[in-house]
Amino acid sequence: MNNMELLEVKELNKSFDNKEILKDVNFSLTKGKIVGLLGKNGAGKTTLIKLINDLLTPTSGEILVKGKKIGVETKKIISYLPERTYLNKQMKVSEVIEYFKDFYDNFDDKKAKKLLKDLDLDINERLSKMSKGMQEKVQLVLVMSRKADLYILDEPLGGVDPATRDYILDTILSNFNEKASVIISTHLISDIERILDEVIFIDKGEIILQEDADKLRNKEKSSIDEVFRRMFKC
Amino acid sequence: MLVKLLKYDLKYMLKNMGIFYILSIFFAITTRILFNIDQSVMIKILGQISVGCMFSMIASVLINTMMRSWVRFRDSLYKDEAYLTHTLPVTKNDLYNSKFIQTLIFFIIGFVIIIISLFITYYSKENWAAITNYVKTITTGLNMSTAFFVTMFCIVVFLEVFNAIQCGFYGIILGHRRNNGKIAFSVLFGFIIYLVAQTIILGLVFVYGLFDSSVMELFKTATINVNVEAFKTLAILSSVLYLLIIFAMSCLCKKTLSKGVNVE
Repeated sequence: MNNMELLEVKELNKSFDNKEILKDVNFSLTKGKIVGLLGKNGAGKTTLIKLINDLLTPTSGEILVKGKKIGVETKKIISYLPERTYLNKQMKVSEVIEYFKDFYDNFDDKKAKKLLKDLDLDINERLSKMSKGMQEKVQLVLVMSRKADLYILDEPLGGVDPATRDYILDTILSNFNEKASVIISTHLISDIERILDEVIFIDKGEIILQEDADKLRNKEKSSIDEVFRRMFKC
Repeated sequence: MLVKLLKYDLKYMLKNMGIFYILSIFFAITTRILFNIDQSVMIKILGQISVGCMFSMIASVLINTMMRSWVRFRDSLYKDEAYLTHTLPVTKNDLYNSKFIQTLIFFIIGFVIIIISLFITYYSKENWAAITNYVKTITTGLNMSTAFFVTMFCIVVFLEVFNAIQCGFYGIILGHRRNNGKIAFSVLFGFIIYLVAQTIILGLVFVYGLFDSSVMELFKTATINVNVEAFKTLAILSSVLYLLIIFAMSCLCKKTLSKGVNVE
């Protein structure tokens, strides 16, 4: 394993009822990158992310994070934001913060409280009383308040207004350090394009392109959003 | 990590079960009060309503302990909450053990609440004497101490219900390995596992009976003329077998869970 490689996906396959969702997926990711995982609906982005997070079991293949198979040790260093609200809605925001503090050694509760304040979220409010968008913001705050090595954000901008999107992207950038990497899966390419170092295009369960964002822009002489539109034109 | 998981599992169950505990004891107290004041027609009607409510709360405590344990198990491991559960830095064994211990604790609490509710409602010197006399009649006939009879009865009932709950857990685990019809398969598998577990226990009792004629007599005779020693042996043997089945199924659940999950 290369010392710089944070994530390695080797010959990864995932099928449901003989339907192949991911086919021989191979890629690796080094430290210090913000990577866009881009593809159409049903391309296999979320399946890939769920496999990295132990929410699905591979049909075959291997995933290594810092050279270790997915398990307790890799979960300590991966901070994952799913594309759905997953917190127990009976809990208050303050209770969820305590929960994260209990389970994650790298969770910074002071930072979480600051981010919640910036987003005008009440720490004493119950999640069931919050709108879906507000719950998604709470989840993002929790995920970004961990000092993780790998952040995986599945559609982090989907349910939020454009003004908050900028705040979220700034939060991602401000958390970014040379030791960490971020994988962002989204359809809103134009919104995140400015922060991407690398892009991975996925289509019909296969990685069709992994390229440095600047190199791709120079090569195609257009934005990544335009490249995506051309490549996946219906 | 198991202690931390257990802390949140217990909190969740207490939030959901607490109301049934409070209502069960509340209606036990109101029944007691209504039965002890002036017996006008209206008070009698209210007393009957109150005792009905108390019994429905007792039933709710029992049914909800089972149902909530299964629902909590499914939601936490296979529904939206699973996105958090499976990304916590804990082993699958700890996840299972936490649910197992949580169910055990709340089943004991439920059992205690039911006894307290019944005690508040019906305790009197006369009623207590009637119950103890009834139990003594049985235990004298069976030539065993009251303490032994009550203890064994409680243990066997407790293990039987707990075994049923764990069969449900294993059914959920197997049902959610399917890609479609997860709920239907969970119920089906749970039911099949329960039947298999009961058949194994019965089979082992039969095998034991091959070496103990008094136990074998239970398989041969249609009359309920229970041999005292056979009853004692059966009570102890079934408790031991239930414990073994619960332990074996717990290992199977953890082994299957450790093979990985497919969260929707």
